[in-house]
Parts: sequence; structure tokens; C-alpha cells
Amino acid sequence: MSKPKVASDWLAGCAGCHMSLLDMDERIVKIAELVDLRATPITDLKEPDASGVDVGVLEGGVNNTLNEEVAHRMRKRCKVLVALGDCAVFGGVPAMRNFFTIEEALRRAYVETESTDENGRIPDDPELAVQTRVRALHEVVPVDIHVPGCPPNADVIFYVLSELAQGRKPELTGNMLHWH
Amino acid sequence: MVSLTIDGKAIQVPEGTTVLRAAEQAKIHIPTLCDHPELTPYGGCRLCLVEVEGIRTLQASCTLPVSNNMVVHTDTERVKAARRFVLTLIFSERNHFCPFCQVSGGDCELQNAAYAEGMTHWPLQPNWQPYEVDASHPYIIIDHNRCILCRRCVRACSDLIGNFTLGFEERGANSFLVADLGVPLGESSCVGCGSCLQVCPTGAIIDRGSAYHGKETQVEKHPTICLGCSVGCGIDVQTRDNKIVRIEGDWMAVINGGVICKEGRFIPMYDDRQRIHTPLVRRDGKLVAATWDQALEVVAKELRPLVGESSNGVAAAISTKLSAEELYQFKKLFADGFKTDVVTSLEEGNYTAATSKVRKELGKVFEGKLSALDTTDCVVTVDFDITRSHEVAGFFIKRRLPADTKLVIVDTENNPMEDLATAVLKSKGEFYVEMLQGLTAAIVKLGLGKAKASLDANSVLESAAQKTGLSAEAYLSAARIIAGAKQPVFIYGKKIAGASSEALKALIELAKVTGALTEKYSGLLSPKGKANSLAAAQYELDKPFAVNGHKAAYVVLGEDEPTQKLIQSLSKVPFLVVQASYSSQLTANAHVVLPTTIWSEKEGHFLTFDGTLQKAEKVINPAEGIRSNQSVFEDLGARLKLKLDEKGWKDELTAGLPVLAAQA
Repeated sequence: MSKPKVASDWLAGCAGCHMSLLDMDERIVKIAELVDLRATPITDLKEPDASGVDVGVLEGGVNNTLNEEVAHRMRKRCKVLVALGDCAVFGGVPAMRNFFTIEEALRRAYVETESTDENGRIPDDPELAVQTRVRALHEVVPVDIHVPGCPPNADVIFYVLSELAQGRKPELTGNMLHWH
Repeated sequence: MVSLTIDGKAIQVPEGTTVLRAAEQAKIHIPTLCDHPELTPYGGCRLCLVEVEGIRTLQASCTLPVSNNMVVHTDTERVKAARRFVLTLIFSERNHFCPFCQVSGGDCELQNAAYAEGMTHWPLQPNWQPYEVDASHPYIIIDHNRCILCRRCVRACSDLIGNFTLGFEERGANSFLVADLGVPLGESSCVGCGSCLQVCPTGAIIDRGSAYHGKETQVEKHPTICLGCSVGCGIDVQTRDNKIVRIEGDWMAVINGGVICKEGRFIPMYDDRQRIHTPLVRRDGKLVAATWDQALEVVAKELRPLVGESSNGVAAAISTKLSAEELYQFKKLFADGFKTDVVTSLEEGNYTAATSKVRKELGKVFEGKLSALDTTDCVVTVDFDITRSHEVAGFFIKRRLPADTKLVIVDTENNPMEDLATAVLKSKGEFYVEMLQGLTAAIVKLGLGKAKASLDANSVLESAAQKTGLSAEAYLSAARIIAGAKQPVFIYGKKIAGASSEALKALIELAKVTGALTEKYSGLLSPKGKANSLAAAQYELDKPFAVNGHKAAYVVLGEDEPTQKLIQSLSKVPFLVVQASYSSQLTANAHVVLPTTIWSEKEGHFLTFDGTLQKAEKVINPAEGIRSNQSVFEDLGARLKLKLDEKGWKDELTAGLPVLAAQA
């Protein structure tokens, strides 16, 4: 049997969940033995194989049209989709902007911050992705496995990946469950 | 008894028990959020849903009474699915994002409940409606975004405290926690007891002082007693790295059942007075730091010639917030050692002198227990404002008012409880004797007396009415209320308990006539002063602190804030020693200042106002260089070759208080 193919990407998050993945230290070698790690944002290949992968992992919520595109592409190309971390699972910290309008959030970020001078303006290049309300991944595409945590503990990520690599569905209970 | 089956387990419980409590007794866990053992069941959160055979829909076990042959299932797929659905609805209602909440990671009952159901996410998103955070209160912050509408806080405020500040406006998803009629909490009728904080299952009600300072799993818990007043409430002091993080009411405590007031919960946490860290000795007119040996040698040298001198010797007074052991050692050192004529407490018997005197005259204890408030149907306050001090006793009264317990106020000043009172007798001068006799006469005149009274009802009532400026009808209507009660309680203050015994005798007469003082029952309560007020009285440390021609004064101030009267009376004493924890005007005037421990840094015994002996525990270690009062007494005694006694404190404390025999 060939090794299961895994691809990951990040959306509206802080990259912390991928950092937590690296926190599993030498066990990452074991993961590399168990799976065929294809595309990730921290390796050369950025997009999952067009021919498809077995497991897709997405970190971060969906907060603009680019994220939507990435999420849909991953969903189309993977068999099992994992929402990694609180942003992908609930919307997380970026979702706090949903308590304001997008205009308010952009104005605060690009015009009103203490470090912005009088030339501060909201970027409006037509090539930029269009901001949307921040959504959990499962609001945009169907998600098979939710791994909450901000970030999920390296042990939890190791457990999830090694279970998936061995063809099992990981069950997160007890100490594995963390939303903080 | 009712027999039922829960998860296949046969159980017998008394009629009226809820299914939830029956399951608890059988050690079957049903998750809950709005339920709290000390509060009236509400059935609001629906997390405790169970399946009952023969009933079509799932039932909330917290409000469902047991019935015979009931068969309950708490763990079926249908129940579990309902629980997850209930939690999903709660999570999606407001901002329940865990990563930025101070109770996340163990202290949140909502999070714990979802973990227990193995929820990795919830499928519904919130409607992103933000609510303003109410940070107007000095101790408490309300974050409505975290509120799950369980109303525990509302029930604590009403059921436990009787304050009725918190309530809900609007309905359904628009339900909103409000203080009074929608004012900021800091401007409301809130008394700052913090009970809402203690029962809140989520991070909606936040303690300004201890948020983020330590979760339940990170703190050490120390059950002890509050020394804020003489009620003696059980508290749970939580510490981390030798620092107090927060204080909570101890639900297991017999006296208060978990209820405490701001004096217990917040005041000690916000004490910003300056601690004294080293002994100070006056040299060339200035107080300068000294070693313990130097300071005590100065004290010993100055006081040595005064040993055995009476009115020419050293006048000594001690705080009543100190333990029985400390009070007793103090008395041994100064009364038996120095043989001086003024050895007393800083309270000077103001809250206890008349009570002690009358008890000795009667040859028996006539005061009742605080628990009398749990069953009373009429409370009469005589010179006592239940909102000002001994607040927990006040809560016990206030929470009974909706259950038709009557409140009668006898006072000479405005009393904040007047609006809630059934009757108010307020004379324009200090006419307590007349008011109390007038009430007795009115009861006798109405023929409602439960015991004989030797007075001429008509003439006493007439003269009382005339002297106090109150109508005879006012006496008669108050008399009807008190006499109509089955178990009245009289709670009396300083002017009755500490002044001349005449008013107290009039009160005892009234209590007898109303059935509040019989062989089996006493409804007479005097809350007294500080934590060990009664102990000081038992040790006869209850005389006036009359410093008159004494060559030196020795004040064991402890944590007390000195009064202007005290500072002035000691301003001309040739040699003043102050043992204190905090800097004050008195320590600034002293010749020698000796820094001592505070309540949390030592252990010792305290006698509640109704005679229950309790031990206060040491919860943190004092800073280096700060000594206990006892060790100072011992050191000084040794330098002066005066004998102290450590063991006798209990016998003398309990003398004449038969109520204590049962505990020993």
C-alpha cells in the first residue's frame, strides 16, 4: 500500500497551528515515514496535487474571496478534510471583527492605528481579494474532522495525523480536547 | 419515601426530591449549568434533560420531582444528542470563544460540559451581536457577551442575599441581565457581596482583582474563617506563590453556608495601607529602623520600672480583631505581670458591657444563636442597621422578607431598611427604654402577652407615647405584629448591648412577653463588634481605656485603623509602644513601633458573637522581620522576667458560656 498523501494550507490564521505541528519535534520524522507530505505553506510545493490527496489540512478561518478559493480547491482535491485549530473550527481571533462592520475593521487597521500617519488609507487595488465576514471552515465547505485548540497541542496534532495515516478516524476526547 | 429507578439503579428518596438530586445521591452524574445546590431550581439551561419512560418528551431533571416507580435514563443516545444540541444553542447565542476568556481551561462550566460531551466544535455560528461590558463597579465586571442566561446570579442575589439587585429584562434571545431597572452595576443597589461572581458558571461575571491571576487548578485552597466581623463566616482563601489570589465563601461552612459580604471577599484584597516591615525606635525625635533586639530592649528598659505599678504604670489596650490566644497572653502579660489597672480592649466593652453585666446578674446565658434567623417569622432590630455592619446577618434577614417574615425597626436614627419594614418606631431622642417598655405595655394591653409582665400597661404605654413623641396607636400596631409572631428575633446594637443595662433589661422583658426568650428558645441576638468582641468580653477586656497619669501606654493595634479619639488620648503619654501591621497616625506618634502579622499570616481561635468557637488558619507566610503578637509578648515577658501562660486561654474564654460546653 502506498503512503497516504497529505497536503496543508493556511487561511485567516496566524500560522501558529503549523508552528505547533513543528513542535512535535522528532516525531515529525515518524509522520514523514507514515505519510507522503505533499504541499504545505512551509515547503516548496504550495498547492495540493491536482490528482488529489488523501488528507487535506486547513488552518485559519475564511475571511476573504481568496480563502474561499483555497478552501474549495482543498475540499475538491482531498478525501478527508481536517479543520486545524480554533480559527478553522470556530473562526477564532479573526472572527472578533465580526462584531464590527468590515468598513470599521479596515478603517481601524489601515487609518486609525496609532502608528499610521495622515497618509493611511484602506487598500483598494482591484486585484486584492474581497473581505468577507469571518467564517468557520465548515460554513464554507464540509469538514470531516475538527481539531480545536489555539493552537492544538503538538501531541494532539501527532495523534490526529498518525491515526489518519493508519486509516483510522481520530476521536478527540478528554485531555485531547482544548479550545484554548 | 419514593422508589424510582435511574439508569437501572433502584433508589429511594424522600418525596419532593428532584430527579437531579436523586441521581446525585445515587452517584449518577447529570450535567447541569443553571443548577446550583444552594439556589432554587430554575430549569433554564435544559442541559440536565433526561428520558423518563412513559413521558413523551425529555424532561429537565432539575425541576422534575420524583414519583413512585419512575424509570429514568440519563445516558441514552437521545439524551446525549439533546445535550449536544442544547450546548450548541448556548454556544451560538453570544460570544463564547474560549481562547480569549479568563475562565477558559478549567474554570468554565460551559466549556467543561462541552468537553465532557466530546464536542470538537459546534455547528451553528453566533449572530455576532456585541454587548457592552459593564465595568462600572469597583469589584465586579459584567461581560454580557459571555452570559448564558442561566440566572444563577439573579437567584443568588435574591435567594441568598435578599438584595434583588440583579434581574432580567426582555424575553427569549433578547433576555438581558440588568441591575435594578437597567442602571450600570456600579450605580445600582448592589451591596458588593460578590455572590453573583462566585456562582457564575462562565466568564460573564468577572472579579476585577483576580481575573487571570490563577485558575482553580493553579491555586491552593485554604478553608478558614473571615475576621471581618463577629459573625465568623467560613471562607475559602485561594493562594498562589504565597499571595492571596481571591477569597470565596465556603459552601460547606455551617454558619454562613457560602454567603459572605464585601468585608470578607473584597476589602482584604484591596487593603492598600502601608505595611510596617521593621521595628521602629524614636531617636532624636525621629522614628528610625531598628532590629527586634534593639527595639525590645528599649521597650524593656522603659517598662521595667513600671512592673507592679498600677495607676502609675503602663496602660494597655488590644484590638478585638486578634485571636483568643493573643488576647489571653496580652492579659497575662499586663494584668498579671505588670499588675497595671488599665488592661482592656480598644472596643472598651462598647458592644458587650451591658450584655456581660446582665448575664452575670441573671446567672445564665440569655442570648440566642444566629441560626434563629433561619426560622423566625418576625425580626425586630433595636438600634441596629443590618446594612452597615455584620452584613451577612443582614442578608439572612433580608432574604426572609419575601417569605412574609415581618421586620420591625426600633431606632432613634434613620434606618435604611425603613422602606421594607412592616412597622417603624423611631423616637426623636435616646428613648430606647421607653420604646421597649411601651411595646411590652402595648402587648399586655392587647392581651397578647405570652408571659406575665409586672407593669401597669395603660400608664406605661401612655408615658412612653408621651415621652417618645410616638402615638399609642403606633405602639399598638407594632405590638400586634411582634406578638403575632411564633418565633420573633430581636437583634440589638451598641446602645443596648454596650451602654447601661436598663435598656437591655427592658428588651429582655419584651422578649419574654413575646415568647422570644423561653427555657428552650432565645431570639435575642447582639452582633457585637469586631471578630473577637465576645472573647475580649469573656477575658474582661471591656473597661474604658482611661489613660490618666500613666507613665506609658502599650497599644496592640493589630490591623485596626486608630480612631481620632484614641490618637488624641495618647498624644501626651510619656512613652508609647504600638504593635501594629500598618502605618497610621498612631504609629507615627509612637516611641517604639513593633510590626506584627495580619489575619492571613497566623492561626488562632475566635469566638463568634453567638458563642461558637472557631479556628482561623494561617494561609500565607509573613515577610521576614514581621513577628506574631504572641512572640512579641513572650520575648518581652522573658526580658522582664514576667511569666506568661499559653494553655489557659480556653478555660477562661468559655467560663459562663454553657453554650460552649457542647462543642468542647
